[in-house]
Amino acid sequence: MIRQDLFELAARNMRNARLRNALTTMGIAVGVASLVAMLSLGIGLQGFANHQLMKSGMFQTVFVSSRQDMRNMEENADAKPEESPALNDDARKQISALPGVEEVAPEVRAMSEVDFGGKSNFTLIAGLPQSAREEDSIEKVKGRFFSSPTADEVLLQRDFAKKLDPNPDAVLGKTLTVRYAQRQSGDTSSSFSIERKEKQFVIVGLLDEEPFGGMRMISRARVFIPTQTAEAMNLMQPADTQQLVRSSPGARTYSMLTVRMKSAAYAEKVEESVKQMHFSAYSYLDATKSMRRFFAVLDMFLGIFGSLALAVASLAIVNTLIMAVLERRREIGIMKALGASDADVKKLFFAEAATMGLIGGALGVTLGWLIGRAINFGTNIYLHKMKMPAENLWTVPPLLVVGAIVFAVLVSVLAGIYPAARAAKLDPVQALRYE
Amino acid sequence: MSEQTGAVAIEARAASRFYTMGEATVRAVEDVSFHINRGEFAALLGPSGSGKSTLLNLLAGLDRLTAGSIVVAGRDLSTMDSEALARYRRLTVGMIFQSFNLVPTMTLADNIELPLRFAETARAGRRDRVMELLTNVGLSHRAGHKPTELSGGEQQRAAIARALANNPSVLLADEPTGNLDSRNGQEVMTLLRDLNQKMGVTVLMVTHDPSLAERYARKSLHMADGRLVSTVEAAQ
Repeated sequence: MIRQDLFELAARNMRNARLRNALTTMGIAVGVASLVAMLSLGIGLQGFANHQLMKSGMFQTVFVSSRQDMRNMEENADAKPEESPALNDDARKQISALPGVEEVAPEVRAMSEVDFGGKSNFTLIAGLPQSAREEDSIEKVKGRFFSSPTADEVLLQRDFAKKLDPNPDAVLGKTLTVRYAQRQSGDTSSSFSIERKEKQFVIVGLLDEEPFGGMRMISRARVFIPTQTAEAMNLMQPADTQQLVRSSPGARTYSMLTVRMKSAAYAEKVEESVKQMHFSAYSYLDATKSMRRFFAVLDMFLGIFGSLALAVASLAIVNTLIMAVLERRREIGIMKALGASDADVKKLFFAEAATMGLIGGALGVTLGWLIGRAINFGTNIYLHKMKMPAENLWTVPPLLVVGAIVFAVLVSVLAGIYPAARAAKLDPVQALRYE
Repeated sequence: MSEQTGAVAIEARAASRFYTMGEATVRAVEDVSFHINRGEFAALLGPSGSGKSTLLNLLAGLDRLTAGSIVVAGRDLSTMDSEALARYRRLTVGMIFQSFNLVPTMTLADNIELPLRFAETARAGRRDRVMELLTNVGLSHRAGHKPTELSGGEQQRAAIARALANNPSVLLADEPTGNLDSRNGQEVMTLLRDLNQKMGVTVLMVTHDPSLAERYARKSLHMADGRLVSTVEAAQ
């Protein structure tokens, strides 16, 4: 039988038992809607989490260090530390030239004493690159960010500001003095001298959160100054002494460089290029691999849960079609007497199952989408009341739409196997005798 | 036509069909041999339970032989698989029943189109063929009607039109007038005779009415208890 005839007859048969087929189709629609709703939620949550993490700037950052500093560390056995080049100015320039790199900032951190209002506090001071401005923690800064990359300005952790003044907000705009050790070039490449220096800074902002989420280390510092200012101060750092005792001391090296990309899309390539230069590289993208695994498992569970309703619906299809076989016994006998083959009869029932699956699938996707819109709407009303920005927790990608409909048709056809086989096996003589 | 009548259309050789019901074996048709020439009008007579309908089902390819062979239009049914039998039912034989067996949810036109669909006849011109068949049986004005809206005679004429849709060479009729009053029965029998005489279709009709056989059939096969007891050929 040609396909058009097959579907015409299937449609006719379905019209003859309109209510029963409509109810079964609605069952499939509810099943598909639950599947689409569950998977959309999974995909939406993943997108939401990704969006939030991307906003944090963490994914645009790759941390580079020399493997020379990792001597005797077994976990880096894949790279021989001796082969790793020095992380010096040449390396910094090379990394800056990589495509997608926006900024390469060294890790500058040193112990210093901070004088404020006649009191002294010993603390860690660190450079903060200009790109940190776009971070969430800086967005929430009380006061403002550095006015320029070379400004003599500081941002303080709120806890530290409390030490300076019981009312921390009052320190904003005031000046503090930082006393630090300055490294100065020696007579030969294998020597340098250290000198005590002082510098005044204006307090421009207070931080409630650690920049970079404090994930890299428990706490980098309590006083932040612009990285370029910090570099110009030539702060004496712990790595300097380490370098001095090396077999080939040479020029100054960095303990770590923070590489900032224009977008997270470059992170993987840059990380790869840096590794090819024989440096160690780490990005939070590595950490998100496990997050992506988590969402894959979550999606799978949501999918299984959502499929339960479709599984129930498939039983309804089996039931509907078995009823149809019983009711149409005589008609099947007539069709066989007129020359329909077993395959024709089988195909007819498959076509009916597939039609129910197709209509149910399309209705289900629409229903699932509407449920999603409704929940998104409800969530955003709640977020609005909580004075939070609107979010999209529900995403129905086109692939899910197509996939859900194809899946519904597939499940329906599978459900039709038994009834179709039963119809095809009917003995025409017996069937024609049936009243 | 005379040349055609010389060739054999249907031939049964020691055809048998046994059923097992529990421990008992029912010999519905046993060792039946006969032949019907092409273009002949034959009748199969016998009381209820004599095996007429079983033999007709065997000839129609709806049932399978237990032993022996049946050859229709040169094709041995005992060697055919189910797909080949379906093709045989589709193209070689047409079948009409006592209870018409029209699909009640379809219009007459749809019922007649059904065998054309199974034969995968091109969709273009199919409706014309349906109307031609309906016109031949005088029912063109009833094309859009459901079978329940028609008289018994009209339904049987529609069933005949459907049986002829794919131009079969053999028409098998199982008590075609059994459910009809005498006037409608007469009409149907006239139609069958016209088909036989004008179109050369071989007709084998099962009936329990000897007078009907006498009036229309050239050859009468009498069955009793599953066996063929006599074959009577009418004088020219």
